[in-house]
Amino acid sequence: MTATLLPGAPAPTEAPAPGRRRSGPRSGRDLTLVATVVVVAVVLVAIVGLPLLRILLAAFSEEGWGIVSSMLTDPVNRRILWNTVQLGVIVSLVGTLVGFVMAYAQVRLDFRGKRIMHLIALMPIVSPPFAVATAAITLFGRNGIVSSDLLGLGVDIYGLGGLVLVLSMSFFPVAYMNLKGMLESLDPSLDEAAALLGASKGKVFRTVTLPMLVPGIAGSVLLLFVESIADLANPLVLGGDYTVLASRAYLAVTGEYNVAGGAAYSLVLLVPALSVFLVQRYWVGRQNVVSVTGKPSGTPELVRTPALRIPILTAAVLVCLLVVTMYSTVVVGGFVKIFGVNNEFTLSHYRFVLAGIGSDAMFTTTLLALVATPLAGILGMLIAWLVVRKLRRTSGLMDFVGMLGLSVPGTVLGIGYAIAFNTPTVFANRQWFPAVAGGSAIFGGAMAIVMVFVARSLPSGQRSGISALQQINPAIDEASTSLGADSLTTFRKVTLPLIRPALLSGLTYAFARSMTTLSPIVFITTPQTKIMTSQILAEVDAGRFGNAFAYCAILIVIVLSVIGLLNLALLHPSLRGVNRR
Amino acid sequence: MTQHTESAALVVDERAADALPAATPGRLDLRRLRKVYGTDHHAVPAVRDIDLEINPGEFLTLLGPSGCGKTTTLRMIAGFETPTAGELLLDGDVITGMAPNHRPMAMVFQSYALFPHLTVFDNVAYGLRLKKLPGTRVREEVETVLTSMNLAAFADRAPHQLSGGQQQRVALARALVMRPKVLLFDEPLSNLDAKLRVQMRGEIRRLQRRLGITTIFVTHDQDEAMTMSDRIVVMNVGVIEQVDTPGEIYRHPASVFVADFIGRANFLDAEVSDVGPDTARITVLGREWTVPRHPDATADSAPALLVRPESVRLRPAREDSVGGSTGRTISSMFYGQSVEYDIETEAGNIVASVADPHEDQTFEPGDLVDVSFEAARTWLLPVPGAGAP
Ligand SMILES: Nc1ncnc2c1ncn2[C@@H]1O[C@H](COP(=O)(O)OP(=O)(O)OP(=O)(O)O)[C@@H](O)[C@H]1O
Ligand SMILES: [Mg+2]
Repeated sequence: MTATLLPGAPAPTEAPAPGRRRSGPRSGRDLTLVATVVVVAVVLVAIVGLPLLRILLAAFSEEGWGIVSSMLTDPVNRRILWNTVQLGVIVSLVGTLVGFVMAYAQVRLDFRGKRIMHLIALMPIVSPPFAVATAAITLFGRNGIVSSDLLGLGVDIYGLGGLVLVLSMSFFPVAYMNLKGMLESLDPSLDEAAALLGASKGKVFRTVTLPMLVPGIAGSVLLLFVESIADLANPLVLGGDYTVLASRAYLAVTGEYNVAGGAAYSLVLLVPALSVFLVQRYWVGRQNVVSVTGKPSGTPELVRTPALRIPILTAAVLVCLLVVTMYSTVVVGGFVKIFGVNNEFTLSHYRFVLAGIGSDAMFTTTLLALVATPLAGILGMLIAWLVVRKLRRTSGLMDFVGMLGLSVPGTVLGIGYAIAFNTPTVFANRQWFPAVAGGSAIFGGAMAIVMVFVARSLPSGQRSGISALQQINPAIDEASTSLGADSLTTFRKVTLPLIRPALLSGLTYAFARSMTTLSPIVFITTPQTKIMTSQILAEVDAGRFGNAFAYCAILIVIVLSVIGLLNLALLHPSLRGVNRR
Repeated sequence: MTQHTESAALVVDERAADALPAATPGRLDLRRLRKVYGTDHHAVPAVRDIDLEINPGEFLTLLGPSGCGKTTTLRMIAGFETPTAGELLLDGDVITGMAPNHRPMAMVFQSYALFPHLTVFDNVAYGLRLKKLPGTRVREEVETVLTSMNLAAFADRAPHQLSGGQQQRVALARALVMRPKVLLFDEPLSNLDAKLRVQMRGEIRRLQRRLGITTIFVTHDQDEAMTMSDRIVVMNVGVIEQVDTPGEIYRHPASVFVADFIGRANFLDAEVSDVGPDTARITVLGREWTVPRHPDATADSAPALLVRPESVRLRPAREDSVGGSTGRTISSMFYGQSVEYDIETEAGNIVASVADPHEDQTFEPGDLVDVSFEAARTWLLPVPGAGAP
């Protein structure tokens, strides 16, 4: 067909027959689209579908089901379940409260240092899971600098109290970002309307602002609940006798070599995590649309009432101080022998990480994360594009499966990887793929790690891609199609350039995620492919906090530098501007 | 850019347009084409089994009220929607299942849909480059089109640096450069201001004539349809009410819906006394008339007489009360080129439009007038749902 479009091209050689005539092979549906869907689906099945399936199979095996069904009857298991729920509820409430205070201060209060406060609030996102936990032990532990040396208290940070402190500090940024966006987009005219009706500032807050925020708050509570019950790093380091499902599953797999047991605890963890994800997605998600106008429709009025201003600002400053203290501990702790015990300056920790045994993990982790980041970014954008533009009935399903990498607790995903990929993939008596995880796997298990990185970091790109695409007029895609581009060409030449900012934030987040994720990694890291986060765990376990601090600090530096480079590269004027011919 | 230069630049460069190579116009056949949106539980029938033949080189307009299925029909032709049933043929070949990017058609969108990240030049070159034409050829062809559309000066601009009218022309250039067999437009002028819209009508029509491209144009603006089209397709709730030339559609509408939708219309109840082959003898406003009739307008169908406001004739009344052919002026409005009256008669209110009346021949509200009309310019129509079972 295309040939006849060329100027002077001869008319179609076959005389147009009257009536029907099937046209040539070119006339089929857009094959690149079909191919893209198939490839994306296969990748998703490999990186999340298969591991989850294997975990379900193991959990429903006789041995696994025995444990699942004893969750409520066996006192030990009941205790673990209770611990998990208790921790989840407390952290989600405390974390959301902290996030709200910070967001409210940021949006509605006027004070100097707003920008710095914003950056401090985001700090925990780019740091590895142990930074806060290790710092907390050093500061507030049995021999802690603050608790013991300064205050002379004999507090025990191991257990519920310490976990709540550390987890709330680690996760409040999620609530902060959520609620900040929501507060900014709240229609200020509502506040004004209420004020005109004679309500006082405090009353406006209670009767107008707060109810409008309920969906956002509920969403944050749910997210934090899932994050905190899914967390493995902190319970391992700080839990002490306080065992939760994630740490129990870890123990079953790595300590008792009881894979069915690990799968069973995973299943119990998976159910609430996935239900909350679904509720968050279909209920809270819808509520948000109703209550929030979407775009800032005016500048929210700043609150000046001292009764509101003083307590909120005080709380926000205290939170910031705590964050700063924690991260200062990380920095200082890397440069002294044993922080709080022997404060003699030393470079040995950094030498260990940068030039010694630790450098191996540093290079491997950065390399694998750098491999995974573009893969996750492109995959996320592709899924977003398919979901928004191309798929109809199956778009919800693809969106859901794409998000699974994040909504499934890391511990569960890691155990799934160990079960699914430590041995070759066999189906219908045929080996489809060699083992990709574990010491004897291809690439020394590096492939499974890249897959986990992609699975974990893909959802953020997918999300930002979806919201970016929804802003772009679909006629632009159709114009490209109408000019002869197949689906993939349209994606490459039109869609991708237009969603570059979303891609950038997707890539940024993907890299930070990959570098800092631990829970799925501990199950599949191998002696050949050492990953920084699991090395940090080993150092903390061995009590070598100095090395752990050095690792954390370097990890943060790597993450921030790569993010900076990405921003420079992708937003460089030569790329961002209109392409000159 | 001022309004003045904008309009000056608008005119297509006639000599340069001659350099545009003519396309091979395509012939389209729509056969019982149907589109139902939604699921089985909640089906939205948008287009119901329409048949339509579009001749090579023809300018065909799809016209109808909002939601009648114009866009859906156009998008099925372009390949963006898959028909639920029916067939689409291009030059005799079935193309119902052909992917949109393989169809030798080009579409101009209401929103223009220019690629915001590309320059005007690259926007226009986009499709040619996809065809892997050599760079020099691409440059030549794009420059020819840009020159003929008076856009050469904007080649290096980004779309957002252009006015609405200029963007519209870039969108048109981008479609024309592909030399499509069929050119599709979906309300391309509705984002322009009124003056520009009128100018663009002429531009598009002249270019289309010159290039001889088969063109399908969707609009709900009847002036656009009347002034631009070879034939108009009037649609209503997913079906075609009539396909004909603008003149026929206006003078001899196929249904009350068409008569009402195109132009303005008075419908008067008519008593049929005798029916000839093309005409009927009827009584309206107390007088007998011989009027042209629609084939279905018989005595049984309780037909209505369509009288356009401009074929109503008013004279000072001889009677002194409303009845028979005498009516009372309710209101009069002066438009400059015409005066429009609202007349109360025994058959209901009638709108009359009198062209360029002499000053002493106008009527005031309350005046009694004698109402008649040019019988040859009326049209007897069947009324759906009325008449004998
Ligand atoms: N994607 C869709 N899903 C469901 N229903 C649709 C969809 N697109 C159109 N419709 C429905 O099909 C009918 C015809 O729509 P269409 O867009 O073809 O109308 P139109 O004649 O172009 O109207 P307008 O002049 O307003 O553009 C409408 O009732 C519309 O609501
Ligand atoms: Mg439309």
